[in-house]
Amino acid sequence: MVVLFVKTINLKMIKSSSIALEFDNVLPELLYDKSLEDVKNTIIFHGNKKEAVSDYFDVNITGKSDIPDDCEIIIDGDLSRVKRIGYCMSSGKIVANGDVDFHVGACMSGGTIIVNGNAESYAGREMTGGVLRIKGNVKEFCGSSYAGDWRGMSGGKIIVEGNAGKQLAEYMVGGEIIVKGNCDILAGVHMAGGLISIDGTINQWVGGQMKKGTIIVNGKLEEMLPTFTLQEIVHNPLICGKYYIGKYELYSGDNGVKGVGSLWLKK
Amino acid sequence: MEYLLKNGIVFDPKNNIDGEQMDIFIKDGKIVENVSSDAKVLDVSGKLVMPGGVDLHSHIAGPKLSIGRLYRPEDIRRGIKPASQEDISGFEAGFSLPTCPTIGYRYTKMGYTTVTEAAVPPLEAKHAHEEINSIPNLDIPTLTLFGNNWFMLKYVKENRLDDLTYFISKWLKLAKGYGIKIVNPCGSEAWGWGKNVDGLDDPEPHWNVTGREVITALTKVNERLGLPHSVHVHTNDLGHPGNYTTTLETFDCIKDIKKNKNVERNQTMHCTHVQFHSYKGTSWRDVSSGATELIDYINKHNHLTCDIGQITFDETTTMTADAPMEYDLFRLTGLKWANKDIEVETSSGLIPSIYSKHAPVSVLQWAVGLEFFMGVTDPWKIALTTDSPNGGPFIRYPKIISWLMSQEKLQDMLNNEVHNWAVNRTNLGTYDREYTWNEIATITRASPAKILGLNDRGHLGMGAKADVSVYDIDVENFDPTLKNNSAILENKLLNSKYTIKDGEILVKDAKIVKLVKSNHIWCKVNGLEKEEEILTNRIKPEFNKYYTIKYENYGVNEHYIKPETCVDIEYGGVICENN
Ligand SMILES: [Zn+2]
Repeated sequence: MVVLFVKTINLKMIKSSSIALEFDNVLPELLYDKSLEDVKNTIIFHGNKKEAVSDYFDVNITGKSDIPDDCEIIIDGDLSRVKRIGYCMSSGKIVANGDVDFHVGACMSGGTIIVNGNAESYAGREMTGGVLRIKGNVKEFCGSSYAGDWRGMSGGKIIVEGNAGKQLAEYMVGGEIIVKGNCDILAGVHMAGGLISIDGTINQWVGGQMKKGTIIVNGKLEEMLPTFTLQEIVHNPLICGKYYIGKYELYSGDNGVKGVGSLWLKK
Repeated sequence: MEYLLKNGIVFDPKNNIDGEQMDIFIKDGKIVENVSSDAKVLDVSGKLVMPGGVDLHSHIAGPKLSIGRLYRPEDIRRGIKPASQEDISGFEAGFSLPTCPTIGYRYTKMGYTTVTEAAVPPLEAKHAHEEINSIPNLDIPTLTLFGNNWFMLKYVKENRLDDLTYFISKWLKLAKGYGIKIVNPCGSEAWGWGKNVDGLDDPEPHWNVTGREVITALTKVNERLGLPHSVHVHTNDLGHPGNYTTTLETFDCIKDIKKNKNVERNQTMHCTHVQFHSYKGTSWRDVSSGATELIDYINKHNHLTCDIGQITFDETTTMTADAPMEYDLFRLTGLKWANKDIEVETSSGLIPSIYSKHAPVSVLQWAVGLEFFMGVTDPWKIALTTDSPNGGPFIRYPKIISWLMSQEKLQDMLNNEVHNWAVNRTNLGTYDREYTWNEIATITRASPAKILGLNDRGHLGMGAKADVSVYDIDVENFDPTLKNNSAILENKLLNSKYTIKDGEILVKDAKIVKLVKSNHIWCKVNGLEKEEEILTNRIKPEFNKYYTIKYENYGVNEHYIKPETCVDIEYGGVICENN
């Protein structure tokens, strides 16, 4: 087997907290050249208090790395109150073994994050690059914009192996989101670019007010918005460089906002 | 407390001090002739020393800001700086819509000590003054919106100039305002009927009154009262291609109105953010600069001053009482838009605005602004503004200064950075002017103070307010004309070495070291009390019919405006003795 990462930082949770821990300083690009002592003393916010990584985690390091891309951070334990894992990350790899809290991979621009569990809301929101893979479910606003902004995820890739919550990819402008499970209401609303592919059942109001971009529903759509119009029926369509097997209807919309988005529906 | 600012290089245009190495003496909050041997000596040898900065047009307090902050949380998330234990100031947040304390911190660090809030409807004046109470370290005059007020429109329609005089005098007291602001006269009122007015002579649908009538009437009243500031006008047709003719007509329509003889200012009208009002053409496709004609007019006449409203290439927020214009912008950009109706006083609107170096229209607007800086020969006729945050947030003033002082920088931008409309559709490329420090001190200090009629500041003469800013710029050896120095210049001007206000050090080495409450500056006209009372008694029934609040709850009470600087004048413009 090829050894991809030469430095591994292992964080094992020894104390959980009911107040969220903010993990935005625990990034490969900030820790790849740090000593064990430095990693232990890295600041994490606990509510409004500055505390150290070692207050909550056992830290182990193996190997060395000269560039952030050669650094992997593995986090074990009950991470359901650990926020902002991989926030603004640009390179390297983070593996979270457990359910994670809000904003995992938010604003990330590169590198890889793997969550072996479920993720709370705002996973990968406003991300511009990199790969975020979630083995479980995600809650609301995955790949969307954050409150107020009209520019959501603009690049990179999010793979959700479970189900996705409401407002998936709201205001998405670029990049790719793949949901292997089902999807709640309002997926792709206000979308202005990028691609969403959903394998499972999807609820109503898909693509509402979308201006551009592509949504592919490989499973079942429960209710189509009346502001989309059927363009054609295609067998085995080629969409954004990939063949989709089967019979697909292509709709265009949202006409309510003079949108020219594409909505592909498997029949 | 006494201070001796030693050996600085001083630029004080009002007193004809152009880069002399000299000492400045400060005692009891004033500039004095000499100080005792107990004075604290601040060695500022060779450093740039100017009077405290004066901004005559900015938007820093009031409901527009609050709406903006509520509906643009994404802007609040920009520019976050956590509080640190070494700093006495708190956290900063926001870019075009900073939090109230952040506004104070950033202006003070730039060396500014006086900042005008340029648009306060009387109905929302309490709100504005309450926000001022959360902004530290500044002196803040507010300009009161009158250009679309129903009582005003009625008096203009019925040609009752006396009543209008008493009304303005009384309403400035109620709003604790400093001067008369006119925004898109009749147009903002027409917006109440879903319309705008087109130019100076298009009557407003309900009152059948025109912008020309409003501007001339209010200018007459302003001069009758002898207010320290002139009328402050945002002319009709903002942001419309072809609007430069309206602007020219506006410049011209009050030129025969006599200036009050007791005021120190030269102008009878201040035209604000003139950049937004200077376009030729019939659409955004064939638009071009109309600045040359307007500059020519300004250079030939003395009854007029203006500030620029410079574009700075940022993602910012526009906010104005010119609500129909904001609707036009919404139709143009499709970005989220907020609209607010201020009952029978005005309307207002907000929308995010993205000015890009690659967008032809943004670049045209940017170049038009710079044309005014370059073309108006007398720097006493202009003031540096961005109409913050409309053209860009005020923290970009230093960047603008770096453009004005270096042709090398400007030419580099024209040739390599910005869309070719700057060259092809404006005359910016034909100028080779470079601002001197003296001229910079004029357009950021001396001129705005004089235009505002705040004669105790903007200079360092004997008895002036001890508002002084010192920058860590070695005047003899630092060459601001070099392109490579632009970023350094900007950074030094953003972070003053000392900001002193009323003889107290507020900033030292780019750190805020003292926080004081901001002063509310307002203007009180004495001598019309009886007339005002008669008028108010007549107005009350009408007021209570049309407003959603009772007259008794309308005015800004004294406790909102502590501390205050009340500029007391006798009716007719004589400044009272006790000032
Ligand atoms: Zn303004």
